[in-house]
Amino acid sequence: MSSNSALDRRSGNPRPQHDENSSMSSASRLSAVEIQGLRKVYQQIVAVDDISLVTYRGEAFGFLGPNGAGKSTVVKILTGLVAPTKGTVRVLGQPISTVETRRRVGYLPEFPSFHRWLKARDFLEFHGRLYGLRGAILEKRIREVLAMVGLAGREQQKLGTFSKGMLQRIGLAQALINKPDLVILDELVSGLDPVGQRDMRELLCELKAEGTSIFLNSHLLADVEAICDRVAIINQGRILKVGAPAELFDKKKVLEVRVDHISEELLQRLNAAELALERAEDDPCRLLIEIQRDEQAADIADIVHGCGARLYTLAPRRLSLEQIFFQTIDALHQGN
Amino acid sequence: MGLLLIARFTIQEAFHRWLLLAMLLLNLLLLAVFALMLNAAYTGQLARVGEQSNPQLYLLEFDLSIGILSVWAAYLLSGAMTIVLTIGMTSMEIEAGTFAVIVSKPLRRAEIIFGKWLGYALILSIYTAMLFFTFLGLIYWRTGYFPENALPALGMLELSTLVLLALTTLGSTLLPTLVNGAVAIMLFIGAPLASFVQLISTTPSVTAKNITTLVNLVIPTDALWHGASYYLIPSFVFGIAQQRGLLNGLNTPFTSTQPIPPALLAWAVLYCIFLPIIGAIRFQRRDL
Repeated sequence: MSSNSALDRRSGNPRPQHDENSSMSSASRLSAVEIQGLRKVYQQIVAVDDISLVTYRGEAFGFLGPNGAGKSTVVKILTGLVAPTKGTVRVLGQPISTVETRRRVGYLPEFPSFHRWLKARDFLEFHGRLYGLRGAILEKRIREVLAMVGLAGREQQKLGTFSKGMLQRIGLAQALINKPDLVILDELVSGLDPVGQRDMRELLCELKAEGTSIFLNSHLLADVEAICDRVAIINQGRILKVGAPAELFDKKKVLEVRVDHISEELLQRLNAAELALERAEDDPCRLLIEIQRDEQAADIADIVHGCGARLYTLAPRRLSLEQIFFQTIDALHQGN
Repeated sequence: MGLLLIARFTIQEAFHRWLLLAMLLLNLLLLAVFALMLNAAYTGQLARVGEQSNPQLYLLEFDLSIGILSVWAAYLLSGAMTIVLTIGMTSMEIEAGTFAVIVSKPLRRAEIIFGKWLGYALILSIYTAMLFFTFLGLIYWRTGYFPENALPALGMLELSTLVLLALTTLGSTLLPTLVNGAVAIMLFIGAPLASFVQLISTTPSVTAKNITTLVNLVIPTDALWHGASYYLIPSFVFGIAQQRGLLNGLNTPFTSTQPIPPALLAWAVLYCIFLPIIGAIRFQRRDL
């Protein structure tokens, strides 16, 4: 969290928040994406409202939010598809409008729609040429990216015959054809099956390990947790929180406890152990218990056994994205 | 460089779309039917040539009429092809979402518009020339007649095609595909109405003339057709008509006794240049 006020004094909006450690350690790092005071209004509708943000070279940055939060608008501004109403955006230190900047960026849109009459190889050749690649270098790169996305041997297949997942893969291949310094991905795994999702996550982790900066738009927690070093949570066009995924998502450890029956004695002893607990509404034998330390899980097991109850489940409960949003919003309100 | 890549891609795409192939096949069918009808009609003309007091003039009248009508058909077909092929050149890509990965590439948006324009201009220019020479070639094959100023006439037709292309290029950056198509068709079909009314009117009207001028400024295709028709009529025919006081009779909705005025010709050229430029400027500022 930033040491600054959670609210921008000028606008009253949540301020871009960087986890202190990241900011401190990033002071000497080059930025991949710099967004300052970004606002986008479509006619009367505010899609993005005073967003400021910095991501760094070599960092995988997740942009997490529900549908309609403004994620795709930010990505479209980053790729030059949409002009901001207000604010500045720099990509790899330069405005995205410059051709040289675009040469170093790869982009996969949310719903990749390609010219279906093209064969996979011709599609990649066309996009490679748009990046200025030619000859043997281009041929080699086409083979490499097809192998990277798991489409080797599909060179002569027309895109019109590709499944949704294959289109997503070939879309990622065109985003990587230029060996970009920054790859911007909008909902990468939306069209993929579980195996495809795993493959893509692994590929992105490899890219990150090679030093490629990643800006990943997603509404899936699993994606950003698996890939990203830092995450921004966006809702209704505003950034609510920025930080490392573990810091954002695991701040509160909540255990789900399921027993054969819940007695008054059990509740009293858990309360006596200063554990915050909540009874699940949908199951009379289930408790949600917030713990501060891992050892408290063992204490809970002892208490359950001590009360003569049988323990069926004792498992960490992950918060849903929706709960994280509500918690974040509540925390901001309480901070005010 | 990006411009040439887009132009090449546009040409490849056009040939992969069934639309162009279907139109070309229909054109072949139409030309075959025309050849058969021309042969039959000319055979009929020859059968009656002995009954005429001036057989040469009798055959020339046929040659001229069929020549002008066939080139008019080429003008209509190339206009139709231009509209059908290019109404969605930008808007359809935006609507389909295919532009997202192209516009984000290292090239200027203007290169995309001018590249597409160039690709279609090449296809349509070749198509127009092929139609023009195929029609006139069939007439020459059967009658031995070929207009002496065919190339200037072709130039007018090519310019007319580029005028329509300029209109659809601009339209597809401003309007949805269907609306752009409707506007282009209405203007292309509506343009001759002004000259029809003006020519049918027995008393010259300043208002009608002004409206015709205005229409020609908005869409100069009909003016260019009349310019083409002038070159399709041999100069000695104008001489004979003038001697006999029949020159005005050659001013019809399909033909003209005057070449296109230089100012209007210059306007048509500027139209071809500036409309795509306005389209590129509009596209530069458009959110995708």
